[in-house]
Amino acid sequence: MGEGDSVNSGEIGAGQDDFALVQRVLAGDHRCFESLVRRHERRVFRVALAVLGNIEDAEDAMQETFIKAFRHLQQFRGESRFTTWLTRIAVNEALQKRQARRDMVSFDDSREAGEKPLPQRFEPWTADPEQLYGKQEIRRLVETAIQALAPIYRQVLVLRDVEEMSAEEAAEALGIKVPALKSRLLRARLMLRESLGAALEEPRPLGTRIVHSAVRMRNMMKMVLTRAAGR
Amino acid sequence: MDTKNMKMISCKEVLANLSSYVDEEVSEELRQVLEEHIAWCRRCRVVFDTTGRMVKLVLDSEPFEVPLAVSARLYTRLEEVLSEN
Repeated sequence: MGEGDSVNSGEIGAGQDDFALVQRVLAGDHRCFESLVRRHERRVFRVALAVLGNIEDAEDAMQETFIKAFRHLQQFRGESRFTTWLTRIAVNEALQKRQARRDMVSFDDSREAGEKPLPQRFEPWTADPEQLYGKQEIRRLVETAIQALAPIYRQVLVLRDVEEMSAEEAAEALGIKVPALKSRLLRARLMLRESLGAALEEPRPLGTRIVHSAVRMRNMMKMVLTRAAGR
Repeated sequence: MDTKNMKMISCKEVLANLSSYVDEEVSEELRQVLEEHIAWCRRCRVVFDTTGRMVKLVLDSEPFEVPLAVSARLYTRLEEVLSEN
């Protein structure tokens, strides 16, 4: 389904693309703005949540985003997609909000460098995760893993892999260059893979687990004996 | 990435192209080189396979629904703003 396609055929402006709806709002038909909000509320919420990390702040940022978009709608000239324009506003609103609370919370954006080298898990995943966990549980696992990422990684991952924006659009919305976006996306995906791997890897056969446990035990004994000998 | 005369590449180089491969944004030539590598390198094969599956899983799981109460408050607020204009 492309941008501007309507989910609900009973909606005002159904079948019209975003640009046409914007024109109708600008012409005074404010009901069409609600249709735009319905189409994009989930994306705006996800983007705000990706930047801010909690629902309360994301809600505020979402409200401010749509109010600002409504008040500045005449500035949208259709040069980029409405989605990109709106996402840019959402990112800016969320960043401003985060800036305002910066003295209250410790931030982890500086974690771009210095994490553990990736990847570290090399076991295949179970063939059908949904059979193992069910759809709701998979969603919960995915949400928890995404929320655990540092904001700079969470933002690119949500725009690219949840909202399916192109690299160019996501970079424009975040105000960064495409190579920076791609490099963060690679890292974000690798971190998320590690995190989800813990739940989704195929259980190893008992024999392999026994060998691994024996090796760990031997190493621990060695360490203990070495320390004891050093006393 | 220059793929001329590049039959063998390191795991590190393969990994650097993981995202582009998953997004199907690599040239045909580079794709062949990467696939040759993952055909014999078990670790890279697992990483490529699970990353591709993860990207699909994330999309399919449709994470982060807007809570109903949050959505309701948004429309109430917008109604106020729109009625002022």
